[in-house]
Amino acid sequence: MDFNVDKTVDCKGLSCPMPILRLTKEMKSLDSGQVLELLGTDPGSKSDIPGWCEKTGNECLGQEEDGGVFKFYIRKA
Amino acid sequence: MENNEKSALRQLWDTFFSKAWPLWVGGILLAFLNVLLFLIRSPWGGSGTYMSWGENLYQKIGLLGLHDITPVILHPYGLLGTLTLLGAFAGALMGRDFAVRIPPVGEMVKGFIGGALMALGATLGIGCTIGGFLSGWAALSGGAIVLAVGFLIGTFIALKYLFWEMEKFPNFSMGKSFTWFSAKGSSGVWQPILGVILTLVILIGFSLRFSADNVFAMFAITGLIIGIILQRSRFCIVRAFREPFMTGESEAPVAVMAALAVGILGFTVIKYMGVGTSTPGAARALAMTWVYPNFWLKALLGGTIFGMGMTIAGGCAVGTIWRAGEGHVKLWCSALGFLLIAPISKKFIVPAFSNMMPEWAKQKLFLPDHLGYWGALLLFFVLLVGWYAFVKWNEKTGKFSAI
Repeated sequence: MDFNVDKTVDCKGLSCPMPILRLTKEMKSLDSGQVLELLGTDPGSKSDIPGWCEKTGNECLGQEEDGGVFKFYIRKA
Repeated sequence: MENNEKSALRQLWDTFFSKAWPLWVGGILLAFLNVLLFLIRSPWGGSGTYMSWGENLYQKIGLLGLHDITPVILHPYGLLGTLTLLGAFAGALMGRDFAVRIPPVGEMVKGFIGGALMALGATLGIGCTIGGFLSGWAALSGGAIVLAVGFLIGTFIALKYLFWEMEKFPNFSMGKSFTWFSAKGSSGVWQPILGVILTLVILIGFSLRFSADNVFAMFAITGLIIGIILQRSRFCIVRAFREPFMTGESEAPVAVMAALAVGILGFTVIKYMGVGTSTPGAARALAMTWVYPNFWLKALLGGTIFGMGMTIAGGCAVGTIWRAGEGHVKLWCSALGFLLIAPISKKFIVPAFSNMMPEWAKQKLFLPDHLGYWGALLLFFVLLVGWYAFVKWNEKTGKFSAI
């Protein structure tokens, strides 16, 4: 990872639509260029989060899976 | 040679189980199966499953004074929904998506309340997003159109609530959560193996169990396939109603429109031709299939309550079933709320509510009776094209999107 994580949002255990709602809310508190890490366990997030980034113009820097936990890295536009 | 064959089989497996199917593919396949169900016996529905589960439970524990309740496995929708749950479980295993996901307590409470509201809405308005809406539109029912308006209103209200809750009580959806039995790396191969074994056991077991009853055998197998398709495509009618107000994306609404288009064409041919009927009376009964006495206020009220419930729960009747099969404990709570409240509502609330309602508020409206089959088809075509134009315009402009 060639970026620093500025904020981590824990959405483990949450199912649709809560990860997207939490993500939307928490992104508001970031400045442009800062990176948010979202942790989730809902398989739907694998397509929902990149789709949300595309829709909102924020950059999805990548996603990883570690022991059933999905990690998404999003840079605020 | 052997390696090539293996790799071809692996490719085939990956096509179905390495990633989610396109939503619209799920929509078209599910609509096709819905038409088949109609040909076999009766169309697809979701809320009947919870009623069957709930009534059997209450009879077992001796509450509500219920007797002679048809066992789940011998109730067509009890069987269909149970097999859908098992199919979703098998699909999640084969796609390595299964895990027991325990959310914070507040989420479980919302799941239960959402399920209870759906039970109220489905019994009051007659039908859920599948039986009342997806099958209802296909059945050319006027009440089904009003039901959809109710879903839209309910979804909007509940979404406003979710935003409000997140701003005012952010800790309600936070807290300890747990994830068990997820497929971790190469050691997670037990999931697809178990999924295949489970699928085969169900197919063989139910084929043998209903070897003398083709209709129930087909309902069981179709239920299993529906569960797998729902889980693999992540087909979600809540998203179709919610996303225009939330992210603005049009993928889910378009998938539901595809399902509606296929269903409407299939059902219309069956009804118009009177397939399988030999007398005018039987043909009329077939034409009135899934046309409920809920036009218009009854459907509007029930639909609004159901729409609120499905948005708070994060899954409609069938969405709850497939997500429960994927291991989301919030949706287990939703299923519990649904099955506990549905029989209570049916026995105590619906009779009182229906008596209060004037006749004009609960009509059976079969649109071809007033518009002819071509007119009814034209109406649904206009509705679908209008809906499509709206979601695409909203996706681009974000006018109605809250985020």
